[in-house]
Amino acid sequence: MATFIDRYPFEAKVVRYTFAVSFLFLALGAIGGMIQALHRTGYLRFIGDITDGSYYTVLTSHGVFLVIFFTVFFLVGIFTWAVTKELDRELGNPRLTKYWVTSMTVGAILTSVAIIGGFSDSVPMSADVLFTFYAPMGAHVLFYLGLTIFITGSWVAGYDWFKTWWDWKKENEGKRIPLMTFMVLTTMLMWYLGTIGVAVEVLFFLIPFSLGLVSEVNPLLTRTLFWFFGHMVVYFWLMPVYLLWYNVLPKLAGGRLFSDPLARVVFILFLLLSVPVGIHHQYVDPGIPEGFKFMMMTNTMFLLLPSLLTAFTVVASIEHGARQRGGTGYFGWLRTLPWGNPAFSGMALAGLMFAAGGFSGMINAGMNINYLVHNTFWVPGHFHLTVGTAVALTFMAGTYWLLPQITGKRLAAKKAAAVQPFLWFVGMTFMSNAMHRAGLFGMPRRTSEPQYEGFDYEPAFGTVAEIDAQVVGGGILLTLSTFLFLYVVVRTWMGTRVSADGGDEIIDDEIPPALSGPEDSPRVLDNLKLWTAIAILLVILAYALPIAHIASQGLYEGSEYFPMLLEVLTA
Amino acid sequence: MGTESRERRIDHDEFDPIGTLALIGLYFVILVVMWVLMWQVEFLDGGPTVVG
Amino acid sequence: MEIHKYEKAWLVGALVLIVFFISTVAYVTAVTGVDMVDESGGTIHPDDVSDDERFGDPRVEQVGENEFEVYMVALQFIFRPDPVEVPEGSEVTFYITSDNVVHGYQIVGTNVNTMVIPGQIAEITVEFDEAGEYGVLCNEYCGIGHADMEGKVIVHPEDEWEEMQGGDD
Repeated sequence: MATFIDRYPFEAKVVRYTFAVSFLFLALGAIGGMIQALHRTGYLRFIGDITDGSYYTVLTSHGVFLVIFFTVFFLVGIFTWAVTKELDRELGNPRLTKYWVTSMTVGAILTSVAIIGGFSDSVPMSADVLFTFYAPMGAHVLFYLGLTIFITGSWVAGYDWFKTWWDWKKENEGKRIPLMTFMVLTTMLMWYLGTIGVAVEVLFFLIPFSLGLVSEVNPLLTRTLFWFFGHMVVYFWLMPVYLLWYNVLPKLAGGRLFSDPLARVVFILFLLLSVPVGIHHQYVDPGIPEGFKFMMMTNTMFLLLPSLLTAFTVVASIEHGARQRGGTGYFGWLRTLPWGNPAFSGMALAGLMFAAGGFSGMINAGMNINYLVHNTFWVPGHFHLTVGTAVALTFMAGTYWLLPQITGKRLAAKKAAAVQPFLWFVGMTFMSNAMHRAGLFGMPRRTSEPQYEGFDYEPAFGTVAEIDAQVVGGGILLTLSTFLFLYVVVRTWMGTRVSADGGDEIIDDEIPPALSGPEDSPRVLDNLKLWTAIAILLVILAYALPIAHIASQGLYEGSEYFPMLLEVLTA
Repeated sequence: MGTESRERRIDHDEFDPIGTLALIGLYFVILVVMWVLMWQVEFLDGGPTVVG
Repeated sequence: MEIHKYEKAWLVGALVLIVFFISTVAYVTAVTGVDMVDESGGTIHPDDVSDDERFGDPRVEQVGENEFEVYMVALQFIFRPDPVEVPEGSEVTFYITSDNVVHGYQIVGTNVNTMVIPGQIAEITVEFDEAGEYGVLCNEYCGIGHADMEGKVIVHPEDEWEEMQGGDD
């Protein structure tokens, strides 16, 4: 049976391209991460001392390259694969597809150029504003323009998948939306809703601000608009992961998805709740009444539900595989799982780390419990478990299974691939655990040198030196693991093509049906218009008053532009 | 990567994910214990405390 | 819709967990009285900070027997006033603003932690029950000197504080 590349050569090319760009940003971002780990801990500092902004140029690139470009380029690739494969049809309009691919690429290049310009004094350009680009700090206008072009490209990509589904629907009247397509569509609806915040922030405030068209903006308002987008985006990273966990992981374990209906419920809950929670990133912001914070916290806590349900469904699907493989006992079945298959082990280990990240996320979400850890090293400790492992490692594991389908080549360097997820797991255990602990005694995030003159940290147990060693050691293992992954990808890509009519050489791309299929769920779950309407309503209920409150303090007054340019700061 | 070695086929009605229930129950207990510990560290230890 | 009985049990468990989390947070707010930083500090335009009656002269002011107010400005890359000195057993309300970019103010390793946003005045009240020196740092990236931005709170023992006050007369 012919695999993806033989059936859909154009789409396979699109996926190969977006994966390649994604992995390029992964490589750059990983190098940035390594430099930071060495610099922060004082092990090796070669990017300048405290009077040089290079650390923050690295930090900005590490954040933006990994959580925007690595993740989203991978997402558009896997969504293209999912829709095409599952609906068994080509994307409707190749020109449209080429448009969004180009737009996203151009946007990513412009933003990257603005960031990298920060390394050189002779380039009149920089964007040392970190991933959150809080006003009144200003980046070069190219930074914002690039992001705008990139995001509008992703909007068109969503339209491309919707169009493909609409075409499919005309020929398949009365049929349920196939599960992967359902996940793609609900995720994109969530993305459209959540990106409104950052679009308004960038188009109406930051671009005019950076061009000098307006002299001031209200920094609390732009922050609030950022976080309107900023928490939804974490689910945008996570939804392709859930797509793989629900659809591919059960089969890799030798089982079948436990419940298709619950998977649908989970994605609907994310559509409904991922936006009206953003203020939980602003628990300790002045200017926002406590009642609004409490309301957003309540929504946030209920947003735990879809992830907790996912934990059950996905683990049960894996267990189904283990039982079919002869596994027994309460925990003994875990041993029968195919831990030697990196596609399985990567996703399973990613899921395990996500459970740990879930805990620290619950602490972050606890409005007043968060006081202690807000903006400490705890926070990057948390999100290196979530986006940094649940997402990154699942993407890598998924690649091991997908790459043969889109290249028509067998996975190469299998031994290296088999080790890679475990290397990541061990590295992240050290690094993330150390970061969490450091946060508890007050070591801050986002700083080049967390050593101070006037006081010493007082760890409840262990020492600062031991924590630093874990961060550096973990960082080295993670970097090695990343490059091991890239090595496997390159080796595979350079391999020889398996013939389409295969024989023994069949590339596995089968996804078995769920144990409990869509027919077991009410059709209303597929009513995307209804869920979108409710999602919009919830966002209005949650955000209208806080934004009105903040905006009433002035839209274009508050703070003057503060460009993050070396000349200005050292003047 | 067809490394499946299926010994038997189990359908929906004959499958009770008891292992999953055990694992997730364990997770539940860990979450509650850790939450309470965090509370302890934050509000019941000495030192300056925010009150408003 | 068909849901397995174990999964139903977990659904109930998950909801119990969520309600438990929300109620503990609500308990801290309602019963132990730990309020969040909110809009109560009011607003001030960054251009007006240097002429302001409170922030033009950043200082610690005694407003009651054991009550103090601190009017603080976060600058690139220092806090003013610094250090903040108060006696043990005091209740101190900080009013903190910024005249340039976003900063953070955290007493290291404690839950005294707030963002400092230009245009806004962060108001937090803190109880200092034990004498000692506490480190303070800025925990939001604010420019290339960010890593240097630190301060101190010195909580004096009662007798030491009395002596210091006596010395002023």
